[in-house]
Formats: sequence, structure tokens, C-alpha cells
Amino acid sequence: MMTTNTLALCRQAPYGDALAREGLEAILAAAAMDQAPAVLFLRDGVFQLLPEQAPSAIGQKSLLRNLQALPMFGIETIHVCERSLLERGIDAKQLAIAGAEIELVADTGGFIAGFDSVLSF
Amino acid sequence: MGSMQIEGREIALDKEGYLRELDDWNPAVAEALAKAEGIELTDAHWEVIRLLQDFYREFELSPAMRPLVKYVGQQLGADKGRSIYLMQLFPPSPAKVASKIAGLPKPTNCL
Amino acid sequence: MTLHIVSRSPFSSNALADCIGTFSDGDALLLIEDGTYAASGFMPENIAVGPVYCLKTDADARGLQVPETFQAIDDARWVSLCVEHKPIVSWFK
Repeated sequence: MMTTNTLALCRQAPYGDALAREGLEAILAAAAMDQAPAVLFLRDGVFQLLPEQAPSAIGQKSLLRNLQALPMFGIETIHVCERSLLERGIDAKQLAIAGAEIELVADTGGFIAGFDSVLSF
Repeated sequence: MGSMQIEGREIALDKEGYLRELDDWNPAVAEALAKAEGIELTDAHWEVIRLLQDFYREFELSPAMRPLVKYVGQQLGADKGRSIYLMQLFPPSPAKVASKIAGLPKPTNCL
Repeated sequence: MTLHIVSRSPFSSNALADCIGTFSDGDALLLIEDGTYAASGFMPENIAVGPVYCLKTDADARGLQVPETFQAIDDARWVSLCVEHKPIVSWFK
């Protein structure tokens, strides 16, 4: 099967609207078809990775729980924009996805330029 | 489909035969759902059904085939973490059929 | 080099700011639809990160003057920009 060199950019905070979830669903769907993209969380997208999300009281399912399925779908490296974490006061050491490695990206522009196609969520 | 009667209870199903309410699930419901798929549940089936429910509790989604195979392999060993094994238990589409019997939603990422 | 396409107003959306935050040398920015409102106020100076293209029909439709620091382009040029760059990133929200 042809492997495409694709990056999924996740830049939306969870819960305020459905965009973050829709992006993740697209990533999981592609991965289920053996077309797993690389993923990069940046800007407000890094809020998706905060631990201890408890959204049941606002009638939503946990996006973090869904994200934790990424390794099961074959996505074992989670790229995260370092500056976006810094701006939001998030310590990278707080972030953990079992079975996946969190890789901080300092030069997001250079990172993005390494892909043939980019899906933006 | 609409609904089915199990032990005097009316169980609501969607048009593809998945439970509308996850809370309706119990082992008797699983037996009935399996029967509708032409499957007689054995210990080997139950082991996978319980595992699927664990997967759902952990990740809040029903797995497509690939993650299901991986998860089964991790939890039950490599000899069971194979498509062919799951295919024999839950033909013709293990992710969909096993999710249905386990009372979970249809795998969202499964065509 | 990456072509960044922004379709939201910088006054109501983070799309342009997020895009600028990932800009690399040699990248190009294309403003379309409400993204062309970046022609307003002090925005043109704030986003002088590289070549900025602006879809003229979208700017005209909104009564915007395309500033000298932007290049006003038509659909044919848009297509050629897409061919010249890889990857293309749409910042649509």
C-alpha cells in the first residue's frame, strides 16, 4: 500500500466545539486504514493533552481518553509544539500518553515543511 | 431492527442492531445479540467480549480491527492477537460484530 | 516550502496568529475570503514575515484596499502558488 507522508495539525482546544474531536476521528479513521499520519499538537491544541480531564459533568466524553487510543491505532509518537506549551504554562512533564512518546518540537515551521501534505484541524 | 425482547425486557436497538443504551447490556442480552449474528458464545468469545468492554472503559471508543488485534495481542497473547483468530470467533467483521455483542457503539472508524 | 492559506479574519480568529507562529523562511502566506481583512489597520506590518499574497476578488468584494506590501493575485496565480509549494496548510478556523 502507498504510504503518504502526511501530518495532522491539531490546534483546537477540546470541548468548546466539536472540531478537536472531529480532527481526532479523522486521524483514527486514517490510521485504521493503515494510513496513520504524524500528529502535531500546537497552539490551543495542546490543551487536548492536559491530564485529568473530567468532562462527564458537561455531558461530553473525554477527548484525552480517545487520544490515549492513538498507540493502539499505530501512532506511537505524539509531537507537541514546545512554545505552545510554554505560552500556556504547561509543563511537558505533565503530559503522558501510555504507549506513546511525547516529542517536543521547537521549530514547528521546519517540522511542517518536511511533509508532503498537511491536514489542519 | 427497532427492539428485541429479552427476559421480559424491551431492549432498544438501532437500525444496525446495536444497543441504543449501553446500560441495557447484560450477559443474557449478549447471548441474544450473538444469536442474531448466528454465533454461539463460548469462553473464547467471552474473553474477547470482556476485553472489548475494557477497551471501551479505557479509551471511550470502540476499536476498529487494527487496534482490536493489537489490544487482544497485548492482553491475551500473540496467538490470539491475530485477525484470523478473531475472524473465526466473530465473522464476518470482528470489530463490528464483537462490539455489537459487547453492547458497545459501532466502531466509528470502521467502514 | 510551505504555502499557508488563511481564510478567517485576524480580528476574530486565531488562524492568522497560529499560522504566523509556525512560519519558516521561504514560506508564503495567501489570504482568501475573510482572511483578506488582514489588509486592514496595522495588520500588514504585523504580518510581514515573507511574501503575502491576497486574492483580489475576495478583497474587492469586501471593499478592501490591497496594501502595497501584499501581492494581489487572481485564481490562476493561486493555482500556480499551490503547484510551486509543498506542503499546503489551510488555516481555516
